[in-house]
Amino acid sequence: MILDVKGVDVNYGKVAAVRNVSFSVSKGSIVALIGANGAGKSTILKTISGLEPCNAGEISFQGQRINGLSPQEIVKQGISHVPEGRRLFPEMTVGENLSMGAYLRKWGGDTKNDLDAIFEYFPVLKQRIRQKAGSLSGGEQQMVAIGRALMSSPKLLLLDEPSTGLSPIMSQTIAKIIRVINEKQVSILLVEQNANLALTIADSGYVLETGSVVLEGNAQQLLKDEAVKSAYLGI
Amino acid sequence: MEWSLLAQGGLNGVMLGVNYALIALGLTLIFGILGIVNFTHGEMYMLGGYVAYYFFGHFGLNFFATLALSAVLVGALGVILEKFIFRPLTKRPKLELTSLIAAVGLAWVFQMLAIIAFGDLDKNVPSAFKGILRMSGVVITVERLATIIIGLCLVVLLNVFLLKSKTGMTIRAVAQDKEAAALQGVSVDRITALTFGIGCGLAAISGALIAPIFGISPNMGGEVILKAFLVVILGGMGSVPGAMLGGLVLGFVESFGCLFFSVPTVMVLTFSIIILILILKPKGLLGHA
Repeated sequence: MILDVKGVDVNYGKVAAVRNVSFSVSKGSIVALIGANGAGKSTILKTISGLEPCNAGEISFQGQRINGLSPQEIVKQGISHVPEGRRLFPEMTVGENLSMGAYLRKWGGDTKNDLDAIFEYFPVLKQRIRQKAGSLSGGEQQMVAIGRALMSSPKLLLLDEPSTGLSPIMSQTIAKIIRVINEKQVSILLVEQNANLALTIADSGYVLETGSVVLEGNAQQLLKDEAVKSAYLGI
Repeated sequence: MEWSLLAQGGLNGVMLGVNYALIALGLTLIFGILGIVNFTHGEMYMLGGYVAYYFFGHFGLNFFATLALSAVLVGALGVILEKFIFRPLTKRPKLELTSLIAAVGLAWVFQMLAIIAFGDLDKNVPSAFKGILRMSGVVITVERLATIIIGLCLVVLLNVFLLKSKTGMTIRAVAQDKEAAALQGVSVDRITALTFGIGCGLAAISGALIAPIFGISPNMGGEVILKAFLVVILGGMGSVPGAMLGGLVLGFVESFGCLFFSVPTVMVLTFSIIILILILKPKGLLGHA
């Protein structure tokens, strides 16, 4: 297991946003967290990357406990988080956004190789490199957000709603790239409202409802599950 | 009206403008990153003036070394203020107004402390540059010319730092999105303290730079903070190019105005022009929508 989440609680003030959630991501796999708006999916990702404090339970990465560490230390360990709504630096160029992703690394051969790989996944970004990130289309912004996260050379990538606001074709493109990234030994934890898209590319999945895991299993089985179908797939 | 008089007015306008720009740049950097108007900024300017008075005027330290020392001393004070006063206040949401009041209160504290420590009389700081330059009828003191050149160099240096260095890029990133910056591994607290220090250091340098020309007093920060605030709003809150442009606009309007009108009339005109600009462009000259 590259990531192990055990019995985690997260409270916003007195309100419990996440209750006793446990799941794991095995090395090299894609795991999907699905569920409705407000089910606690984004909160879980923010807790893993250290933006929200974990009130109970334990999060371990590669066997080491990481809850309680700062976001900076967690990035250093090899976890990179693409936040909901992309959260680019809008007044900075695409190139600057990508180099911010490599903030903790020395610029050199390795980072250049990573940059080349990103331009291979998203060739359009090479033409946009001097453009301000805020001026790009939603799909291109998502590409920059994923590219920026890859610039830290992560072992685990946390993706929060990468398909939100994108056309179906663009969503498919992003989904394909997520698989390509995964083939290069980057484990992926994917949060999506688009359960169909998420379960199609994932190996396994967890269904969240009001802060708790209510269902888990192999992604293909979840796709066929009657409860999942009616609640999240709109079938 | 002779053209030499206009040229004179233009040079004075540039000098005032560069000085306003330096103070406003610090203010706009701090606003961009903390979201608060640092009303103690004028007092940092005042303290810079006193560093020049004592170190350059009394202890005979080299003028350039004095400028650097004012930035370091007051910059360090800024880092301390940020860490112990503004950080605890801005960490809690919806306390912007509290931070603002704290800043206003601190400004008073520094002003009163300055009166207690340095006396309430105006003081003169000797000139660092002697001589007069004449070019086809235009007369300017070497001192004013040097003030313009040093000020411009500082503005250029700051821009190069913000646009080209890694730390400068990080400051811009934190100003645009703190959480996203933290996710890249940036220590947001460290960058915030650094930015506060740089902003206060800039105010101190401009105070030290202008001290030999205008003299110093414990309340010299009061007028300047209002003008710097005006420049920041005029240029667009948080905008670096806006602060530079706004500073020059204010400097020129004041300087040319004084050629034709009395000082109170100039004040009325200045504020009217700025209100008019803001009605036409509510986000300031270079502000973002």
